[in-house]
Amino acid sequence: MSENGLYPGLNLGEAHDDAHLQAESTVFGFWVFLMSDLIIFGILFASYASYLDPIGLAGGPGPQDLFDVKSVAIQTAFLLFGGVAYGGVSLSVKYEQGRAKLILWLLICAVLGAGFLFFEIKDFISQAGEGGTPQVSGWLSSYWLLVGLHGFHVFSGILWIIAMIGQISTRGVDDVVKVRLSMLGVFWHFLDLIWVGIFSFVFLATLT
Amino acid sequence: MTKPNTGELNPQESAASEIKSYATGFIVSLLLTVGAFAALLSDLPSTWKIVLICVAALLQIIVHMRNFLHLSFSGGQSREDLLLVLFSVCLLAIMAGGTWYIMSDLGGRMHQASGSDAAMPEAPTR
Repeated sequence: MSENGLYPGLNLGEAHDDAHLQAESTVFGFWVFLMSDLIIFGILFASYASYLDPIGLAGGPGPQDLFDVKSVAIQTAFLLFGGVAYGGVSLSVKYEQGRAKLILWLLICAVLGAGFLFFEIKDFISQAGEGGTPQVSGWLSSYWLLVGLHGFHVFSGILWIIAMIGQISTRGVDDVVKVRLSMLGVFWHFLDLIWVGIFSFVFLATLT
Repeated sequence: MTKPNTGELNPQESAASEIKSYATGFIVSLLLTVGAFAALLSDLPSTWKIVLICVAALLQIIVHMRNFLHLSFSGGQSREDLLLVLFSVCLLAIMAGGTWYIMSDLGGRMHQASGSDAAMPEAPTR
């Protein structure tokens, strides 16, 4: 790791010349957006913590009634593996390991992300079935908004991956695609990072 | 901004070190995640559980930033990226910490009286 980083995420490196330089400003701009996203998530974490008392629960079902640790662990595993799998994407772009390998890694990320979403939506449905809908209490509203917003980000990430697979197969791995894949990588790893906060504070710390 | 490329970097060697970095990040993240879940399921007092979970989360966030997002204090731009993170965290600490403090303080002042019987008799003894 002796190389100098110009922007967040695994850098393409100087062998990629124009794409590497283009990525510096583009990925940095995207990073600024992600930091504004971080502020939104942070404020949602704060409102979640504020509602986590008997008044915020408003007599509705609480964390002990609704949360399923096993399902949270499964979701965490899916997202962690999915995040690391993007390392395969970044490395196969950087070392030009061919289109097929690149698309394969992207598909692995998308499938793991979809697995995460499957269990998350399953949880949401069973929680709604147990009377834990967002309108029941302030705590439930903040829970649905925070976790739902993260889930929506993952969904957008999957759409983005599919769009990138389309672009790779039609236009090949050119400079534009490389820069976009660098941004997608930062986005994907960032979602993983937010999830660390969610599973630790929203689920685990609440259940102690 | 960047140092000139020496051209002596063997791509295969570099890939090996990057794969190693991803693998390290993955293993450490996995251990911290398992540790956090194990802390929840353990018999420790709940204050200890919360402390352990928070420490594991902070460490894992640092590992993610270092090994997956490749932010570090060295390097041209990446220092600015990290400063942006620290600035955002500073803003967040003010806004999120302030929200949480004000709301919990307000909750304590407004609802404690009606919640406990001990505080109630004080009102009529004027």
